[in-house]
Amino acid sequence: MAVSTTSSVTLSANDRLVAGVFALLLGAFLVFGAGLANSAVLHDTAHDTRHSYGFPCH
Amino acid sequence: MIVRYLLAALVAGLFSGVLMTAAQEARVVPLILHAEEFEGGDEAAPAAEGTTPGTGTEGAAQTQDHSSLGAVILDVASALSPVSVAYAHEGEDHEEGGIMFGMSRFSGTLLANLVTGAGFGLLLAGFSLVSGHPITVANGALWGAAGWLAVHMLPAIGLPPELPGFPAADLGDRQVWWIATVILSAAGLYLLFLKQNIVAKVIGIVLIAAPQVYGAPQPGDISSNVPAVLGAEFAVAALATTLFFWIVLGLSLGFANEKIAKAA
Repeated sequence: MAVSTTSSVTLSANDRLVAGVFALLLGAFLVFGAGLANSAVLHDTAHDTRHSYGFPCH
Repeated sequence: MIVRYLLAALVAGLFSGVLMTAAQEARVVPLILHAEEFEGGDEAAPAAEGTTPGTGTEGAAQTQDHSSLGAVILDVASALSPVSVAYAHEGEDHEEGGIMFGMSRFSGTLLANLVTGAGFGLLLAGFSLVSGHPITVANGALWGAAGWLAVHMLPAIGLPPELPGFPAADLGDRQVWWIATVILSAAGLYLLFLKQNIVAKVIGIVLIAAPQVYGAPQPGDISSNVPAVLGAEFAVAALATTLFFWIVLGLSLGFANEKIAKAA
């Protein structure tokens, strides 16, 4: 069973795509909000994080 | 089942975000605070020349040279407060900023790291799920390293991690180049590492090289009041801490995935 302890084995191909696309969209939304969104409040809150991650900032 | 894989990505991302916050506080954030003491001298200097020559020596005390009375009061308040706020930066007409929910600067950074960690965790998991290559404990560090290459190292060739006060080209242009480079680099690394076909590998290298050949938007004037040594230290510290973050993320995501697979 050691071989089958992988993340895709227990999902059907269709479910895998649904989960993957959803994860990509939600992940992109979160990263955009924390790292790139052009809002002063978001910028000031995430300021040190944006610099630390090397996001293009101000 | 789908939800459990998303939860695994979230848990791994939040965990990595917490560790990342600790890593940042050790080295990166002190450098940011140090650089902010020099920031804004560029814009402040021409205004100061006309009125009160010689104020340059007090540069550190005047780094936030706002004109309105309200801003002055805020500056005084922040100087007295033990909690420093992340400033809206010099020379930009910002809308009213400030940290969400009146949190301290550290809480804001922690929150942003949690959100960013969860986001990158989901992106990494999504990439793995869509491409059909599972992330395990055995290969988690390599997945993390690849994520670091795509999101940090390769974009940093054109746009190195900047300190506050560094000269930079237009923000929109840089963000477009950055996003394009991250996407092209991720696609290129996928073709290079996960495809056996030699043509695919060559296309992968071309995709990785393309944004670098095109070139990142650069500022016209590269003079800065921030000492170069700080910039060099910061660039290395930022890349080192993000590498740490991604390896923790890859490993913890692999661990969470294997827990799920066993539980199923």
